[in-house]
This record gives sequence, structure tokens and C-alpha cells, in this order.
Amino acid sequence: MNPNLRKLFRKGAPSNADIDAFVAGSAFPLVDGNDITFVYRGTAEAVYLRCWISGLNTAQPFQTLSGTDLWAATIELPKGSRIEYKFEIIEHGQERLILDPLNDVIAHDPFGANSVCQGAGYRRPRWTLTNPDARLGSIASAQVESKIFKDTRQVQIYVPARFRQNRRYPLLIVHDGADYLEFANLKTVLDNLTHNLEIPEMIVAMIQSPDRLKEYGADDRHARFLFEELLPLLADRYPLIDQPDARGIMGASFGGVASLHAAWRFPELCDNLLLQSGSYAFSDIGRHQRGPVFDPVARFMNEFRDKPGVPARKIYMSCGIYESLIYENRSLVPRLQSQGIDVRFEEARDAHNWENWRDRLRNGLSWLFPGPVWMVYE
Amino acid sequence: MSAQTYKRLLLGPQRPVRNLGDAVVKAGIPDGPIAVISAGWQEAEGDIDDVRELIGRPLVDIQLYRRAETLFSNDLDLHQAYRARQDRLQELQRLYRRRLRQLAIAAREMLRADGDVALVTSEQRHAIAQLRALDRHHQHNVEAIYREFENRFDAASYGPIAENASEIARTLAECQALLITGGNVVIMMNRVRLFGISGLLRDRHLIAWSAGAMLLADRIVLFHDRTPQGGRDAEILSAGTGVLPGYVFLPDANRRLRTKDELRTGLFSRRFAPDVSVTLDSGSALHFEGGKLKSVDAAQCIKRTGRLGKLRAA
Repeated sequence: MNPNLRKLFRKGAPSNADIDAFVAGSAFPLVDGNDITFVYRGTAEAVYLRCWISGLNTAQPFQTLSGTDLWAATIELPKGSRIEYKFEIIEHGQERLILDPLNDVIAHDPFGANSVCQGAGYRRPRWTLTNPDARLGSIASAQVESKIFKDTRQVQIYVPARFRQNRRYPLLIVHDGADYLEFANLKTVLDNLTHNLEIPEMIVAMIQSPDRLKEYGADDRHARFLFEELLPLLADRYPLIDQPDARGIMGASFGGVASLHAAWRFPELCDNLLLQSGSYAFSDIGRHQRGPVFDPVARFMNEFRDKPGVPARKIYMSCGIYESLIYENRSLVPRLQSQGIDVRFEEARDAHNWENWRDRLRNGLSWLFPGPVWMVYE
Repeated sequence: MSAQTYKRLLLGPQRPVRNLGDAVVKAGIPDGPIAVISAGWQEAEGDIDDVRELIGRPLVDIQLYRRAETLFSNDLDLHQAYRARQDRLQELQRLYRRRLRQLAIAAREMLRADGDVALVTSEQRHAIAQLRALDRHHQHNVEAIYREFENRFDAASYGPIAENASEIARTLAECQALLITGGNVVIMMNRVRLFGISGLLRDRHLIAWSAGAMLLADRIVLFHDRTPQGGRDAEILSAGTGVLPGYVFLPDANRRLRTKDELRTGLFSRRFAPDVSVTLDSGSALHFEGGKLKSVDAAQCIKRTGRLGKLRAA
């Protein structure tokens, strides 16, 4: 039992007033080294911890703490870990998923929100938080009339502070850009890393697909859209450095697949890839185990693993060790390296979520696009 | 006044310790207006109210950055040639970096090696000599690229540049000293070269901090052990103006360098020897009379052992 809970129960079941004081004076979940204790207060038939960590049971049962309306569940979480979770409450035979009522730390994603458990040693990076000293870039928007998709695509474009037409800028294309902006603080991160001179001032085009599982799943149309429609439009509107080493593509999950696939289909146009938790389903024999939406991905990945070519010169990859995709990501690294590609792979004690991807942006971006910190001596 | 008597005052970053005003008084920089190069601040060039307040003298920014931007806007030929030069320099720097990385790894391995002292020492010397040879080779190639550009766009004879260079020379002649701020050392050096100012620096009193101090050395050495990606081996950028030969100036060294890693700093020191590697942290000051170091305030040198030691005035 967590030492603070043990103290609370040292004279038997505590009174409601004692529990009120304990709850008011504690930060939840309770972190004691590697032991993380989640606490729920209320009546229920059962309570489970839902944290979608590959390697742990999907639902961890809570135990009631005798004579009280407190429930607790303890899991072991290595230092520096960060996980997202919900509580599953069973009441009157009904299940409902709720955020942890005792924990204010919440992460949002396109499906809603999760409570966040920050294990011992985890600190949210300062460069993900607003820095009042940093000059702010702006977000412009553009429309791409796509003949390939036969529709109109909205693109949001990050333009750095102090943008000037007579300069030339590197370009980064971001899959699921609106989600990166909303859930991974991408604009703040770009502002801060630019301010800290860790990345150059750059143009960042953020795209969003109306059907990402299809279009990002190794779809040739999407690769053509990037290089035949989006890139020319951006080059027409912004003073971009017209060299592959000044271009990058980035994405997470299916966005990682889309980035890799596009660079593979159009080699030598883009030297830099930033791939986060890529959904690289493949099979060595037989069929992959990830469901039909992954079929085109697996076909591509199997072909890619057979003939990878050189889709980019530098590839930064990251993946959470609490996501099942860690195996596919790890296995891709030596294959890329064998092609002479400069690969940097980072594993994080986190899972398949936007804040994991946010926390890796500094390492990825500043490695692919080193800023002038090297040249500035104030 | 002989060239030997010109004062050169070199300082560390002006944050958090702002010692500029006191150091100027202490060094005895003669009264009168001071010209300023703040091109390293790029768009913020000329934003020198803080400096004026610290020094308490009239300041005239010679606006190298703005002048260059205006030239580039008006002279497409010049701008394209300049961009092409920069592209070549960047490509060359990338190639140099790739070779440097391997040689630096090898040199550090040799410095860690133990065994027969004579054998190990010989291999260490050779590993460092290879690094130094690569540095020389790189600087030679960089200068060749600059010369090719400068032959075509000579600051003394290429009309639009020459007009600016004359104006700058007149302004400098009207000022008692020249102050060079910190900032982006690459941009500053490029502007100094574009307008042919290197030669004008020798015969005047100079005050410089951080990047400004780096410009005054024989060669410009870029360094930073604490980038987001961790340590990166110091690189030769190009020749400096050579006003103060025999030194490598290292602004903000205690923050930028892993000074506790003596193997790393020792290699740094030996690689750039016989030049003395001098730390210029905030609050430090070096006062030269001509080329002679007359006084040292808080600056240190990196010894061949990698330890920081006392830097002695002549």
C-alpha cells in the first residue's frame, strides 16, 4: 500500500473528514518511486484502471479500502514514464469511462481527453509551454484545389516571426497538422525552438485529411498530392530553399506511414523525415494481425522492407515503449540504416498519444533542422 | 599614434553581467563618438539604446546588415552570386563536418588509450595532427570560395559596394572607436567581408563582445557542446579579421562547453594550439594594447590538459 494511504489507515478506517483532508492535501495519482497508486472515491460495484499500455492488462481492478468509499489500484511504472488513462466505473451493472476526478492533469486528443499520470522523474518540457519572451509566428491558411483528390484541401501554414520575402526558408510538411497544433502544442513548440535558435526559421505546412486511414495508408494519390500539388503551391507563395535537404515531412501513427511512403515514392525530393509511432504493419509470413485498414500499409511495408531504396537522407524516429507498435518501429531502424540513411531512433516511456509526440519534437526537429544556436554568440 | 597603441577591449556576453560601461572607462578608450557594428542582430541591427546607456557616448551604427539587404534587393546579380557562394560554403561545411566527426572520434579514442606510453603518445599526436590538417584544408577551401566572390565583387571597385564602403570608412574616421556587438557571427563576418572592413579594423580602438570578439581572431571557431543533440565538435568557419592573432575567443564558454569533460576540452586546446583558447564568460574582460594582452578580468584559458587555468597578461 502507498505509504500515505497506510498512514491514513494506521488507526483503522478513517473518518470522512480525514479522507476529505487527505484528498485535499494529496496529488493524484500517488507516486512513490516506481509504484503509482490510483485512487477513486465513490460508490461502485467495481472500478478498473484503463490505460491501454501494451504489456499490461487492459483493465486493472481497484480494491476497496476497508470501511470507506475509497478504491485504490497500484501499478509499477518505470521512472520517467508518462501514461494516459481513464477509470471504468461499474455501477448498477452499467460501465462508464470517466476521467480521474482527483487528477487535474488532462491530455486531449481527437477522441476526447484522458487523465495523465506523470511517473517519478517525468517533467513536461519547458519548451512546450508558452514563453512570453519568444516572438510569435503566425498561422496562415491556403486552399489547394486538388485534381488528384478532386476536391479542395485546406492547409494551415506556420509562418515564423520576422518572416521576410527576401529570405529563403526550409519547409516542413506535417500530417494531421491541425491535431499537432491542438494536441501537441506545435505552434508553441515552433515559436520556442525558433526563439531558442534550436531550429531555423521555417515554413511549416500543416495538412489534414478527410479520410486519413485511407489516404495516409500508403496511398499513391496522397504522395502525388504532396509533391505535385502542395509543394508547387507552397513554393509559389513562399520563398523556400529549393533543395531536398531543406525539406522535411513529418507525421505520427498513420501520418508516419504517409510520410515514409511519400518519400519512398518520390525519392530525392525530400531529405528529412520525422516519423513518430509509425503504424508500420508488416508480415514476415502469412497475414498481419492488425485488421483490414492496415492491409495497404502492410503491402507497402512488405515491399518497402524488400526494396527500401533511400527515401530520405536523415530520418528521426520515435516510439513509445508502451505501445505495441514499438516492435515494428524497432525493426525498421536497422533496415533503414543498412541503406546508409542517417537514422536517429528515440524510445520514450510513453504510449501512442499526442503528448508523447509533442515531447519528442525538440529532439527530432533540431536534429533534422539544426538552428543557428551554433552560430549565435550573444 | 602607432598601431601598437590601439586599445582592444574584449568582453563576454552582456547578460547577465553588463560590464561594458565600466570596462570602457577602465580601458581608457578615448572620449568621442563610437561607431557600432550590430549586424549580428540582423533585423534588430541598430537597436542600441541599451548600449548607449551603458557607454554614455554618442553611437553611430554603420548598419552593415541593412546595407547588405538593400544591396541584395537592388542588385540581382550580386544577390544571386552571394547566395550561390553561401550555398557552396554550406555544402563545404557539411562535407568538412562529416570528415571532422570521424577524426574527432578517433582523436578522443587515442586520448583515452592506455598502454605503451611512447606508442600511445605518438598516435595521439598524429590523431591531433590529422584534425589540424583537416582544419587547415577546410579553411583554405573556404577562403578560395570567398576570394572567387570577392574578386568579382571587390569592395573597393564594385560600384554599389564601394559606395557603401566609402561611407563606412568616412563614418569610422569620424569616430574614436569601433564597437562590435555579439550576435550571429556568420552573418557579421559575411557583412564585414562584403564591405571590406577587415582592413579598417587595425587602426582604431576596438570594443567587442562575444561574436564581435570572435571576429577579431585569426580564425573563427564555432563551438557548442550543449545543443539539443548534445556535443558537436568545434568547427572552423573561416578566417577571422586577424586583428588579434594567437587566440581563439570562446564567448559564454562555461555554458556552451562541457568544461568538466577535460578530455574534450583538452583536445580542443591542443587542436587549436599554438593559439590560446580563452573563455569569455559574462563579466569577463580582456584588455589589449595593440596585440599585447595588458589585463585580464575573469577570463581563463583552456590548458592542454583540458583544465581551465589562469590567463596571464603580458
